[in-house]
Amino acid sequence: MTPSEEKLMAYVDGELDEQARVEVEAAMRADPDIAARVARQQALRARVRLAFERVVEEPVPDRLVAATRGESAPVRANNVIPLRRKESRKWSWPEWSSMAASLAVGAVLSLLFVRHTDVGPIASRGGHLFASGALAQALSDQLASTQANVPATPVKIGVSFRDKSGNYCRTFALREAGSLAGLACRSGAGWQLDAVARSEESADAGAARYRQAGSPLPKAILQSVEDRIAGEPLDARAEAAAQAGGWKAAAQ
Amino acid sequence: MTFSNVVPVGRTCVTEEALREQIVGLLPRLRRFARTLARNAHDADDVVQIAIERALARLDQLRPGSEISSWLFGIVRNAWIDEVRGRARQGRVFAVEELGEHVGEDSMGSVADTLAVQDALARLPEEQRAAVGLVLVEGLSYKEAARVMEIPIGTLTSRLARAREALQEMLSDTTGAAS
Repeated sequence: MTPSEEKLMAYVDGELDEQARVEVEAAMRADPDIAARVARQQALRARVRLAFERVVEEPVPDRLVAATRGESAPVRANNVIPLRRKESRKWSWPEWSSMAASLAVGAVLSLLFVRHTDVGPIASRGGHLFASGALAQALSDQLASTQANVPATPVKIGVSFRDKSGNYCRTFALREAGSLAGLACRSGAGWQLDAVARSEESADAGAARYRQAGSPLPKAILQSVEDRIAGEPLDARAEAAAQAGGWKAAAQ
Repeated sequence: MTFSNVVPVGRTCVTEEALREQIVGLLPRLRRFARTLARNAHDADDVVQIAIERALARLDQLRPGSEISSWLFGIVRNAWIDEVRGRARQGRVFAVEELGEHVGEDSMGSVADTLAVQDALARLPEEQRAAVGLVLVEGLSYKEAARVMEIPIGTLTSRLARAREALQEMLSDTTGAAS
């Protein structure tokens, strides 16, 4: 069955439920034309997003900040606005940072892979996003325990751990490309990206910080880690051993 | 972004000051959304400023169950329609050097492609631009975007489909970053 263009758009926009998504991906595998149509829509989405991405990087004009803070008007600091209970939960404060910071995975990632089709850190294969280029290399080779000795590295590796299926996963932050951070898990096909978000702090913040609990990794990424991790993160020795073993999934 | 100044009062209240700070944190996204509506950067910032003034005057209208960002996007869009659209500077007014001022080609898309996409978007009808801005640029769900635009989801998706078709058409002959 050929999915409608509308359905493919919904797929690209992350609007399909699990079953519909699986169907589209099956159709993509079965028919290169469908895969190409999806890729075309993904590329457009990424391209449009990219065209406006720089706006969020610009300094916000002072007049807007002042207007928002009411600095030109008397500030009523303790004016309390009641919100209902549900609302309060809906607005969980930590979400603010991740909402402003994290974006739909496809949208952010495609920012990268569309621009650097061949050499960028992200590639799309079969409807999934994989690390490529320098990111893939860093995920395979770089050790969090020794990367501080390599000041120019474009990628900072954070925690490494095994997920519940025994696969190795690692968090990372990119120095360039808007300080994106993410979680990649090793499969037979490479380092598949599980989550990505804009880092709340510069990736220059220092390798050691990414290894700490309460690290500056975006909350969306930390949540993904929490969802996947089995046991504890790898220590330096286990990390080196896993790297030496080619990150092959452990037998369960 | 820091949350130390956010003071939940009990579980149900926040200070106005905290809300203002949240809005400050959202300003970059509000500016970006406004830029998808108003081609000119100064017009876009005017839209945001008007929207902020309106929003601050009606903080009590924030409804339970609505995200503050969605609420603000809706106010930005209405501010654009009501106040600025009519007097907006028309046409291709961006100097390339202005566009490239903050972000170099090495970290973001090429300036040329940015211009091509912004030009193409500017040629779409307003309601299609808003749909593209909310879903493709801001990453809102269909449901959220439809709520912001106060239209049914089906209307939103058909606007999106038409917008995409038109953009593909307009951009297919430019050497974009798309492969």
